[in-house]
Amino acid sequence: MLELDNVTVRFGGLTAVDNVTLRAGSDDVLGLIGANGAGKTTLFNAISGLVRPTAGSIRFGGTSVVRAPMFRRARLGIGRTFQIPQPLHGLTVRENLVVAQRFGTGKVDERRIAEVLDFTGLADKAGRDAATGLALTELKALEVAKALATNPQLLLLDEVLAGLETTAKRRFMGMLQDLHARFGVGIVIIEHDIETIATLCRRVAVLNFGRLIADGTPDAVFRDPEVMRSYVGNGVGGGHG
Amino acid sequence: MRRAYFPALLLAAYAGVPLVLGGNAYVMSLIDAALVIGGIALAWALLGNLGGMVSFGHSAFVGVGGYASALLTAKAGLPVPAGLLLGGVGAVLAAIVMLPVLRLRGPYFALAILAYAHIFRILATEWTAVTGGAAGVSGVPPLPVIAGIDFGGKTGAYFVILTIVCVFAWIYARVSASHYGLALRAMHDSEDATQVLGVNSTLLKAAMLLLSAFMTGVVGAFNAHYIGFLEPDYAFAGLWVTLPIVAAIFGGYRTIAGPLLGAVVVYLLDQLVFKTLISSGHQLILGALLVAMIVFSPRGLLPLLTRGRKSDAGT
Amino acid sequence: MSDLILQALYSGVLAGGSYALIALGLALVFGTMRVINLAHGELVLLAAYIGYTVESRLGWSPVAAIPFALVVVCAAAACVYGVVSRIRVDREINSLIATFGIGVILTNAILLVWSADVRSTSSAWLQEAVVMGPLYGMRGELVFFGVSLALMGALWWWLAKSWYGRAVRAVASNRDAAQLMGIPPGRTELVSFLVAGVLAACAGVALYSVGVIQPALGGALTVKAFIITVLAGVGSIPGVLLGAVLLGVAEALTVTLASSALQELAGMGLFLLVLFVLPNGLFGAVRRRG
Repeated sequence: MLELDNVTVRFGGLTAVDNVTLRAGSDDVLGLIGANGAGKTTLFNAISGLVRPTAGSIRFGGTSVVRAPMFRRARLGIGRTFQIPQPLHGLTVRENLVVAQRFGTGKVDERRIAEVLDFTGLADKAGRDAATGLALTELKALEVAKALATNPQLLLLDEVLAGLETTAKRRFMGMLQDLHARFGVGIVIIEHDIETIATLCRRVAVLNFGRLIADGTPDAVFRDPEVMRSYVGNGVGGGHG
Repeated sequence: MRRAYFPALLLAAYAGVPLVLGGNAYVMSLIDAALVIGGIALAWALLGNLGGMVSFGHSAFVGVGGYASALLTAKAGLPVPAGLLLGGVGAVLAAIVMLPVLRLRGPYFALAILAYAHIFRILATEWTAVTGGAAGVSGVPPLPVIAGIDFGGKTGAYFVILTIVCVFAWIYARVSASHYGLALRAMHDSEDATQVLGVNSTLLKAAMLLLSAFMTGVVGAFNAHYIGFLEPDYAFAGLWVTLPIVAAIFGGYRTIAGPLLGAVVVYLLDQLVFKTLISSGHQLILGALLVAMIVFSPRGLLPLLTRGRKSDAGT
Repeated sequence: MSDLILQALYSGVLAGGSYALIALGLALVFGTMRVINLAHGELVLLAAYIGYTVESRLGWSPVAAIPFALVVVCAAAACVYGVVSRIRVDREINSLIATFGIGVILTNAILLVWSADVRSTSSAWLQEAVVMGPLYGMRGELVFFGVSLALMGALWWWLAKSWYGRAVRAVASNRDAAQLMGIPPGRTELVSFLVAGVLAACAGVALYSVGVIQPALGGALTVKAFIITVLAGVGSIPGVLLGAVLLGVAEALTVTLASSALQELAGMGLFLLVLFVLPNGLFGAVRRRG
């Protein structure tokens, strides 16, 4: 469903994403890992439309989206969360989802909103001000809820677990595990914790300095010598920040 | 503003004011002018609150609306009510020309709009063949007599401008309460966050600019017919920028009623007090008032005064 | 015909000098405070009127008015800083409105004090034609172009070498980091306003010396400064000079080839052109939304 072919993103002299070819479908739970600065978030930005690739093609559901503005990609079914939560200011949690539904799908389905609120554990906080009334865990849950409310076919999750403490993390993990089964949506997830990736994902892709160096089952990938080298070798001065 | 007050206010406005003050042409003319300013202030506040854009160029819409309607009625013979609407359309066209500046950030946008306002004034002054040049357009037809009521007179015109302003306030309220209103408010902080959810933020902002322009254009057209003539320095005067801004900020620009109430107070103050103090530079006091308000009470002065009486309803 | 165009180019370049000073003043304040001083054009105009007053009251050449203009305009600039620095909430927008208000105050104060009549210098020395080959320029134009270049050089030196100049650059690039390094942001911002005042004062006297002034000119000057920053960005002095010269030349060409009344439209045309064709300005400096 999502087809990336030879996607390259260059910022001036810096190549953040280097000739990446990748596939992701609604069946996938794909983990995307790599050292800091390996280009993971940039890749997400290119897929969701925040950034225009310097070269390569991006197709979704058969149509090319590389020229499509962000909002159109969202309506086509690409959902995305931000690493640093960006709740819609001045609105309540519920209103956040109403906007997502209304503009991501064209109409507001109250049942779906209730379902999403329930699933992400925000049902009793629906009336709170999204920007000021939520703790970090709830903000992150809202990120997922907002994206879900657009009825996506593919969900890009950017480090949703970062910064959470253990109990919250475990709860979130449970939620993420159910996500694919419950909503039938394909997932591409960026995470740093190898264990999380191994538990959640059936497939793992590894980026290193913008290049895709591995793409396969967790077992295969974690035993790949180049992958191991990229982690150990990147200890000193690796990545572009 | 509490919903319960509406019927009483409308009654006071439509019936009370004409009954009590209708005989005094001078007072009615003050009120008419205050409502004109109020309409522009409302449109300005709408662009600021919903569109997230501060404009220093609304005089462009006043002037274009006025000229469009004046020329179409005086030269092309169209009926005045059509002229009012087409004045709004003219302002919308002017706004469409301004659309490229939407992509500019706050301060740049404000300056760009200011630049446009200058340009429209120059066009009006130089394009003599169409606009009559510096001499302007004279003989702009007044509002018509319908069913025995002379809408061209001070009190008749009052009903027209009052209705225009009420309709615009209603539209503002509907948009604000709609899903579009939610999205627009969210856009202030992060357009990306809304776009990623499917909101075409550029289109929404453009729509707010066009709506604000339309409203201002209609009011400008009304004013042209009310005054009876137009010339570039008047139609595009800086006062059309300054007064509505002072009015909106004074009355509290985050509310819908604020700009209207502010307009009445500020305009009356300006005409009755400031002008007697410094007749040709009275704008100076307006400017000073504006600066003082922004520094000491950016949310407006009226909200400060009423806060003691009602519980703060999310101003 | 080509003589006319050459003359227009020449006049345009000369005008560009003063325009550059105006634009640099605006850019300097924007750099340190992220605030656009909508009253900047009025400060320039104030200096111009000081030039008129010195000439009409004391009989001196407007050039001698520069010290007076410096004092008055810098004091006014400090007042603008005083107002802007008190704004805490929604600073970007509220400072726009506040400086707009200050601009209205200044324009009307000028109107009250000096009336709406159009003024220009009566100095024969400044108005005398200086002929260079086929090109004709007023001595005033040449003198003040030289002054502008000198000032820009001084500004460049100041930003590069002096303590406050480098402080200004530091605050402009990263306010918090600068503060951590011990640079007092408030005082630095005041300095940037004062320097902008110096530039505005010279530009204003220049304006009076080579052209005509009237109270309504303030807003137009701010708009011109803005157009130059759209063309050239706020990043470099040579860039601003280039943008200013471009504006000057465009105006001169419009006056020569079309009509003098359309002079203001020239800048607008350039502005729209850049917006449509080069959305990042000539030097990629206009910031766009995402």
